[in-house]
Amino acid sequence: MGVEGKTYPPVTSTIEPDRVAAFARAIGADPAGGVPPTYAAVYSLGATAPQLFADPEAAVDFAKLLHADQEFEWDRHPESGETVTSQGRIVSDISRRGMRFLTFETRTTGEGGAGVCRSRTLFVIRA
Amino acid sequence: MKKAERAVTFTADQIAAYAEASGDRNPIHLDKEFARSVGLPGIIAHGMLQMGILATVASAAAGGGGRLRRLYCRFAGMVEPGDTVTFAAVEAGPGKLALTAVNQRGEAVLTKASAEYL
Repeated sequence: MGVEGKTYPPVTSTIEPDRVAAFARAIGADPAGGVPPTYAAVYSLGATAPQLFADPEAAVDFAKLLHADQEFEWDRHPESGETVTSQGRIVSDISRRGMRFLTFETRTTGEGGAGVCRSRTLFVIRA
Repeated sequence: MKKAERAVTFTADQIAAYAEASGDRNPIHLDKEFARSVGLPGIIAHGMLQMGILATVASAAAGGGGRLRRLYCRFAGMVEPGDTVTFAAVEAGPGKLALTAVNQRGEAVLTKASAEYL
């Protein structure tokens, strides 16, 4: 489909200590134990997915959306208070038997542009 | 060889706390009537909440969350409040973990789950 390869503008966000602590408590991690690995759901995927969902060209029907799988790869884990930049891209968009399989990747970098995290998500949009 | 394990009984409060902290406030996680209107049995836990808990187990097995370099899972089953899911990590070679998440009925809710660490 037409949106394969589409890249969204980079989003800069700050890793907020209070939110990190609340996130850690919700998953049963030590709130004083640093940024939990899957806080990438906030600073990486969570920063860019709203752009995908709001994009009329991508036309994702949020009500029929399933998060089918998730991969994170880290070069390092960010520190609380750090500012990071995330950029989302539609890797592939395949329709099969009425279902749509959309692979969405987000690359997060730190100040200076060095890699922090790569998030790769398979969204399935039901018919 | 089992390296780490944790059993969690999910609650609506925990799911709401995760929604607030993560920013994923999809009403299927918060509003029972809405969830039923889209064909679900009631509210369900976020896949990312399950993966977050799985990551705490992987982190314990790896000797700290800061050591994790990769984490993958497939979201295979719904988790509702009251469900108890046992998350476990076993060694699968140097720097590799095989991960599982199985509910009280013996059904895998996360599949193909694995991690790599330094």
